[in-house]
Amino acid sequence: MVISVSELTRRFGATTALASVSLAMPRGAVYGLVGANGAGKTTLIKHILGLLRAESGSVRVFGLDPVADPVAVLSRIGYLSEENDLPGWMRVDELMRYSRAFYPAWDDGYAEELRQAFALDPAAKIGNLSRGQRARAGLLIALAHRPELLVLDEPSSGLDPIVRRDILGAVIRTIAHEGRTVLFSSHLLEEVERVADHVTMIHQGKIVVSAPLDDIRESNRVGERVPSLDEIFVAHVGRDAAQAPEA
Amino acid sequence: MRSPALAIAWEFRRRHRWGLIAVAGYLFVVATIRFLILEPGEPVLVDSVRFAAVVSVPLTTTFVYLLAVFSFGFAGDLGARHSMYPARMFTLPVTNAALVGWPMLYGTVAMAILWLAARLVAVWPSGIAIPVIWPALLAASLLAWTQALTWMPYGLPGIRLIVAVLCLAALDTVVLLAMHFKAGEPMMLGILAPQVPLAYLVARFAVARARRGDVPDWRGLSARSGDIADLLPRPRDHFSSPERAQVWFEWRRHGRSLPALVGLVLPFELALLWLAKDAPAFVFEILFLVLITPPFVAAFTAWTVSKPNPHMRDSYGVPPFFATRPLTSAQLIAAKLQMAMGSTLAAWLLVFVALPLALAWSGTWSVMMDRVQRMNGAIGASRAVVFVMLVLTGFIVTTWKQLVQSLHIGLTGREWLIKGSVLLTLTFLVLLGPIVEWFIDSPSVQRASWNALPLILAGLVALKMSAAAWIATRLNRSRLLGDRALFVGAACWCVAVLALYAVLVWFVSTPFVAHYLLALIAILAVPLVRLAAAPLALAWNRHR
Repeated sequence: MVISVSELTRRFGATTALASVSLAMPRGAVYGLVGANGAGKTTLIKHILGLLRAESGSVRVFGLDPVADPVAVLSRIGYLSEENDLPGWMRVDELMRYSRAFYPAWDDGYAEELRQAFALDPAAKIGNLSRGQRARAGLLIALAHRPELLVLDEPSSGLDPIVRRDILGAVIRTIAHEGRTVLFSSHLLEEVERVADHVTMIHQGKIVVSAPLDDIRESNRVGERVPSLDEIFVAHVGRDAAQAPEA
Repeated sequence: MRSPALAIAWEFRRRHRWGLIAVAGYLFVVATIRFLILEPGEPVLVDSVRFAAVVSVPLTTTFVYLLAVFSFGFAGDLGARHSMYPARMFTLPVTNAALVGWPMLYGTVAMAILWLAARLVAVWPSGIAIPVIWPALLAASLLAWTQALTWMPYGLPGIRLIVAVLCLAALDTVVLLAMHFKAGEPMMLGILAPQVPLAYLVARFAVARARRGDVPDWRGLSARSGDIADLLPRPRDHFSSPERAQVWFEWRRHGRSLPALVGLVLPFELALLWLAKDAPAFVFEILFLVLITPPFVAAFTAWTVSKPNPHMRDSYGVPPFFATRPLTSAQLIAAKLQMAMGSTLAAWLLVFVALPLALAWSGTWSVMMDRVQRMNGAIGASRAVVFVMLVLTGFIVTTWKQLVQSLHIGLTGREWLIKGSVLLTLTFLVLLGPIVEWFIDSPSVQRASWNALPLILAGLVALKMSAAAWIATRLNRSRLLGDRALFVGAACWCVAVLALYAVLVWFVSTPFVAHYLLALIAILAVPLVRLAAAPLALAWNRHR
């Protein structure tokens, strides 16, 4: 298993962000994590990255505890943060040079290919880039070391539609075909439907559905009609929660 | 809530109700002592220590608290470039005049009430004339200027602190000089009355600027060396290790601030040497001023170094980009320590280059040499050299220490801990004056302290070593540092302590100071606990 989460519970004061969440993700698939606002998706991702310590239960990534062994875990993960907090004072080429130092598997040729595909000027300061360009820069450094696990927290919120449709999907599929694993959270259910093999729906800190996408569709079939993921999401978490599904 | 004025007042009251209740409680207690316990009309004889404990320390603490309340100091970031005025209020449908005027008015009224209540109910020694209005006006002026200067957006992180301290100290100096020359109440009012309106105008300008997002960015100036470097061929070499890359990151983010700020201040200080040609004593005062500049500035820039995310306002947590670096927390701290060392050396290089040049060009070099020769004659050449080296090393180490000693607090990311430590430090500084005065005025206390000095030092050493042992155990158990790293660290610390001890023994060759005392001093002088706690603090913040 690439990720193994067992009975994970997390509370923030009186709020239970995650309640006995268990999840197992084998290698080589694309996992879509969907849920309403405040459902616990980002909290789960932060546990996987070791940014939150498991209060009860356990989290293992590549069989390791990400809190106890951050170097071994993080050096094999590519991560695009929802917060898009790349240092504004760096130039794009400095960001690439700096990031390269941390990942032995960094591929210079691939990094340059991505930079050109994302139309990023190497001399441009990150702080002067648009939100979408910053998201592309973040995606570049998440991908260029060909990570074993790619974690994308709401990538769609920063990327423009063209990159989202033409590049992100292609990149994710390529990674999966190479036998690596992708975990991404998104509020765009049609996007999840397009690229994910496996969908996990999370609601009020609990996993309500976690299965291969085809199985979910099949189990929710109404006669000959296969419902969309949007309809399945509404059926499982209720219409109110589905009004503004978000990470 | 029917008006913005009431809404703003409600926010102050709601948010700080417990603090304001504590202030009212204090005034109630002193009023009870004054009117019920002490007999009315009786002369009140209180010594300076009791007066400090009952009146001056609580009043000063309350004053500082009100400064923080009405300048939104509890919610903002003193070290940031952005205005400390809460950005959420910029979108309210009110004028800049209202945004500035109401907090300033409430603050002025609070300061006036504090003074008038203290004047009325506090236990003042008999026989001294307590002024009526001007202290209230002074408190209001200091608050108004604090508001104006903290709400102003600045071009560089940390500048706010320096500007605020210098301006408030200047106003204080003017008032102290006026008191020294026994200026009457009308004169004091004449000095202080224009301050609040002036500060109001500055604050309006500051809030207007912050509201339209007009935050100057002088980081380009401080990074001028970076721009010059851009003209040169850019380094294309890869970093030899992740640790090197992280040191570069820290240097680019924080390392240049200290040398840049020292470089800004130094010319003004050294220019005074030209005025001091005929006053040798003044030369040494300027020299002292120059030497304390790097540690002084470092104390302010440390604010940004110890904050994980100085460029994001109101954020104490570790940003994901930093937290997901595949390095251990100890390696991230090591990069900060190395950056601080580089920054310190760069700042002192500036001083060591500029100072002799300024002494030579201003014609004050001979004054320096004369004093050096006199020292040679008094204690011998070798001791004089060691003394100068010790002093300079002390200043350099102090500068570095200033930069890194608050890492263990700042990197925890816990707002209550950070602000609590600031409050404790301020309280300590407020108490320090009366304690020193009490110590100086009490020969019996001095004798007892001198006799108990070995015990006090031994107690402090025991405390330090116990804390170090606990931290080392935690570091080891949480796998932040391995056995080898802990052993090497401990060995380096022991070598530093032994070296300092050897120098002290050689330098202080007097039978009046026992060698074990020097050993205790050496153990206490070499930093250990706070530095060792920094990785724990970062890990606590990084893995919440």
